[in-house]
Amino acid sequence: MSLFSAVSLTAGYGRQPVVKDLSFEVEAGCMLGLLGANGSGKTTLLKAVCGILPHKGKCFLEYNSQESIILEELAPRKLSGLCSYIPQRSGISIDISVLDVVLMGFNPQLGILEYPSAKMKKAAREALQMAGLAGKEEENYQHLSEGQKQLVILARTLAADGMLLLLDEPESALDFRYRYQMLELLKEWIGKGRRAGIAALHDPLLALNYCDKLLLLAKGEVRAVLTPGEDPLDKMEKELSEIYGAVSLQRCRDRSGCERLVMLKEAEK
Amino acid sequence: MKHSTALPTMRIKAFCAAGTVLLIVLAAVSLFTGKYPLSLEGLLSGDPMQLRVFFTLRISRTVVGILGGFALGTAGFVYQTVFRNPLASPDVIGVSSGASAGAAAGILFLSGAAAVTLSAFAGALAAVCLALALSSLDRSGKNSTIVLAGIAVHSLAQTALMCLKLTADPERELASIEYWIMGSLNGISSYSISGNLLLCLICLIALFLLHRQILLLSAEEGEARMLGVSVGRMRLAVLLTSTLTVACVVSLSGLISFVGLLAPHGARLLTKRNTAGTMLLGGILGAVLLTGADILARSVAATELPVSIFTSLLGAPFLIYLIIKGRQKA
Repeated sequence: MSLFSAVSLTAGYGRQPVVKDLSFEVEAGCMLGLLGANGSGKTTLLKAVCGILPHKGKCFLEYNSQESIILEELAPRKLSGLCSYIPQRSGISIDISVLDVVLMGFNPQLGILEYPSAKMKKAAREALQMAGLAGKEEENYQHLSEGQKQLVILARTLAADGMLLLLDEPESALDFRYRYQMLELLKEWIGKGRRAGIAALHDPLLALNYCDKLLLLAKGEVRAVLTPGEDPLDKMEKELSEIYGAVSLQRCRDRSGCERLVMLKEAEK
Repeated sequence: MKHSTALPTMRIKAFCAAGTVLLIVLAAVSLFTGKYPLSLEGLLSGDPMQLRVFFTLRISRTVVGILGGFALGTAGFVYQTVFRNPLASPDVIGVSSGASAGAAAGILFLSGAAAVTLSAFAGALAAVCLALALSSLDRSGKNSTIVLAGIAVHSLAQTALMCLKLTADPERELASIEYWIMGSLNGISSYSISGNLLLCLICLIALFLLHRQILLLSAEEGEARMLGVSVGRMRLAVLLTSTLTVACVVSLSGLISFVGLLAPHGARLLTKRNTAGTMLLGGILGAVLLTGADILARSVAATELPVSIFTSLLGAPFLIYLIIKGRQKA
């Protein structure tokens, strides 16, 4: 049974729809990757699911085996308690401590006039530690590098403990090592409990290796749905070449024997 | 590592404490400054004239200086945070020009200081409500829409003010309109202020209770929404509340320049953070600035001078000093 399903989503800016009549599902414990060229509607899709963009169509969240929730019918407060969103770039532009940024994630659980409890502060510190930022709690968020900022926002998302994670290029500013660390962390976290993730990833290699399913978007429509762990290479190669130009795929093993997918750019004919 | 983690909160507390001490000293000086000489012995021995001046004039003037400055500083902090713009101040959405037009109408058509205050308050409120109503016409609810609507209302109010000035009798009415606009705490007595101060105080308490939401509003709109903030409604509530505090003050005092812009910047440059403590410090700095300026306005020349002269005169060098100091450290 799928934890999240979107039914015929249409969304856009002004009258021109960017995303047209999209339907897809995500199973519990799974991460769905969104791949597509620039302007194919990845961010628009995520924003529509969040309810930030007005849209047609419906999103269903299977709250538990009895209860299914329609996200569009929820008040922002309730919605934000269930779904966490990592924007491409956080808009926080004031001088504020790293810990305070993470504590913002608890806002949906707090009354308007309430303050974060000691327990929440502890959870926030733990989330920072998980993201590899232990000891930076009191530093000025603005003085961090873009990559570190993304890790802080990741910690905020983990602390908020939503069911559905919506990630818009959460790793775009991270260097090689931290990209993998972040994806490991996200995958592990989604695997625990009743959770699912939808991620537009900057790097297709990460998407191929960490997402359970891939939704290939072109001009706001679903081109193909791939399951990187199962699908034959030639099928995936064909579909990915439609987006990225000629590419080839190979399965390799790393030193520990773990199978990885590698994508190489081929010369255009 | 340890000392650096404790530093920001300690700094904020230290600055707030120092600011409060300075404010108490200034308040004491303010109570004993003015045309009618007061002395501690005179008050203690129960001189009736001295007691009357002290209770009806000096206390209310000092209280308005402190609370007014505090309100301007706090509201400035809220505006700059919500609009994510260091130049934002309550004037942006037309509260000051609305108050001026209201006061001018009051001076022309009504009589008595209380009526002018009321009329100024009504003008301020009308301007702000008009600006927010105009901005709500645009469904996307962007910050920039509010600013644009505010600018439109501001120029409308300026036009109304100009028309009122044209019809004013140049000898008497025009002079008092001009004097009102320049701003002064002169003529404030305990009879006219209680309603304004009470409302101002209630709004200030509400703002401090909402400080977490105010900081959340500084995030991008979609992000704030996904952090559980009903952005449109919360922003409206916060802006309306902070503008009310300013309306309460300017309808009593006339326009006071610079405090709302400068005090929160001072607080941020000193603490290098944005927390409830910074907001408090912004308020305290505003109170210090206005009380200090008012003392000078009463004592420098034989006649009372507009208080805005001194808020700018004290404030500008302080801001420049902070900027230079910040540069050297960075």
